[in-house]
Amino acid sequence: MIRTINNNIQDKKSIYLPEIATMVRKEQMTDLDTYFEFELKDRPLGHLYGQFVEISIPGIGEAPISISSPPGKGNRFEMVIRRVGQVTSAIHKLEPGDSVGIRGPFGTSFPMEELRGKNLLFVTGGIGLVPARSAILYALQNRGDYEDITILFGCRDPGQRLFTSELNEWKSRKDIDFLETVDKCEPGEWDGNVGVITTLFPLLKDIDPLETYAIIVGPPVMYKFVIMTLYDMEFSDKHIIVSLERHMKCGVGKCGHCQMNNLYVCQDGPVFVYDTIKHLKEAI
Amino acid sequence: MEIVKISERDFNEFIDTKIAEKESKIVSVVRKGTHFAFDELDSASSMCLDYDVTLLPPKKYFQPPKETMLRFVPKKADSYEAVNEYESLTLIGVHYYDLAAIYLMDRAFSDGEKDANYLVKRQNSLLIGLYPTRFFKYRFSNSVVKGDLPYKVADLMMIQMGNGYYALEIVTEKGRSFIEQAKYKKSDYSLKEIENAKNRIKDDQKLPVAVELTPDYLKQHHSHPVWEVFGEKCYSCGSCVFVCPTCYCFDMRDEVDLTLKNGERVRVWDGCMLESFATCAGGHNFRKNRAARFRHRIFRKGVNMPLKYHYWGCVGCGRCADACTSSIAGPVKILKYIEENK
Repeated sequence: MIRTINNNIQDKKSIYLPEIATMVRKEQMTDLDTYFEFELKDRPLGHLYGQFVEISIPGIGEAPISISSPPGKGNRFEMVIRRVGQVTSAIHKLEPGDSVGIRGPFGTSFPMEELRGKNLLFVTGGIGLVPARSAILYALQNRGDYEDITILFGCRDPGQRLFTSELNEWKSRKDIDFLETVDKCEPGEWDGNVGVITTLFPLLKDIDPLETYAIIVGPPVMYKFVIMTLYDMEFSDKHIIVSLERHMKCGVGKCGHCQMNNLYVCQDGPVFVYDTIKHLKEAI
Repeated sequence: MEIVKISERDFNEFIDTKIAEKESKIVSVVRKGTHFAFDELDSASSMCLDYDVTLLPPKKYFQPPKETMLRFVPKKADSYEAVNEYESLTLIGVHYYDLAAIYLMDRAFSDGEKDANYLVKRQNSLLIGLYPTRFFKYRFSNSVVKGDLPYKVADLMMIQMGNGYYALEIVTEKGRSFIEQAKYKKSDYSLKEIENAKNRIKDDQKLPVAVELTPDYLKQHHSHPVWEVFGEKCYSCGSCVFVCPTCYCFDMRDEVDLTLKNGERVRVWDGCMLESFATCAGGHNFRKNRAARFRHRIFRKGVNMPLKYHYWGCVGCGRCADACTSSIAGPVKILKYIEENK
């Protein structure tokens, strides 16, 4: 005889049941990336900088997406979603007023409280800017809590720049250093730096590796080269904070897809202080 | 621990009354051609407790190959509804190494976030363990399942004593109230007789390295040629992980019926040996080559699970070695190769 458990029983609740969020804003950013603002029905998401949620459309599926806004927007939060698979393509077709399923927030976060009084060096590549932005905006909103703030951003070509009005604002700010680069561009399309992200490092003013924390978020290929450059600048592993990408399918440390050696990136990460994972062969 | 004695005839008669009651699904080992499998009993006479190994471990009852987790109306996010269906289950004749595996599965689904779909099925099950009476050429449980691990999940443990009798160790109160309904006697076996009967079958296979030392041993051989040599022969078919009693990795996918009006999010078995397992949206595969996947499976059992649960993640059932098309999956063979090619 098959019996059914009522999901309202506290300790029998399903960890896979999403809550409902409504889209309130949508703005295309690049050919593949679109900005969305969502609103949860009954509560603030309660996330921290660099965490992610599982977003879903019934009948299509679920996907892990980073939150790009800092906490403090009431029940609202922002994401930038790249159209790369079935779920993300379906979300791109939604319009304001439409609903999605949300589970989370999940994972570890950038330790913004602990970093007070320190210099921050953000090194972001492509869509890596999305999770980093929650920490960057927080640091800018609380500018007095931090010493020097440096932001590096690199992307494939000028058409891939995200949050362009914010990038332009950062560029004009006198209280931070913002440098950007593109891997390649058409003639006349771009008058800034051309080259991979590490080509920005020689342009930096002196950085004290003992008083600075580097926060790195970018495509998998980027980490090794950025960390090598930071080593040249005499950064210690404890001063390097990375956010790693994996396939975080369930978000609750069960399904196994995001395993990195003995760690589940969805729960033990995605944000790691480098000295805690440096020894893991599958990390970088 | 209290031990009782019951004749095979009385035990089978009792099981037949339990089947007739229909209060619990009665599952045990039955013949499937030349093999054995766990299946629902319609009569105790089809129960075959003298078996070598079952094709699949009993995990299929707690984490089914396919399981509905949510129901919904397609594209309507406010229609999501959690599904958690279970039935009372009595599992008879689970070899001690499969019990050890259930303990590891319990940890995986209850440590941290609690997985109600798994745990409710487990809470509504009664496990009657068994010591093997038949040799299986790939089994090496003796060298990996240590101490009282099987007793952490068993409700009763059966020992075949010969002459048509079983000894039954009463492990839990749940087990006691089950067997109290049967015609049992006080055990008149000596502890030595019981121990001898438990250890009647000595595994032919043995891990070449002491199980406590394997995590460090494997880490030392992270870059050993074995992963490339064996990985090259791997078809990435996933047989080894699907038959493994401690593999629980899964995928979630949405299925919509033909009317497009009803849908379900289902959980299905998945495995790290399949090529696309660690692939992210956008196509980057974090374990692209076969050697890396091959090593990951062994490291998961031999390094990562011991780190997390303090027990080896492999219970030595030998099913992977038996199921592998290329005859490369067995941990004994892999460790032997390392030993011989240091």
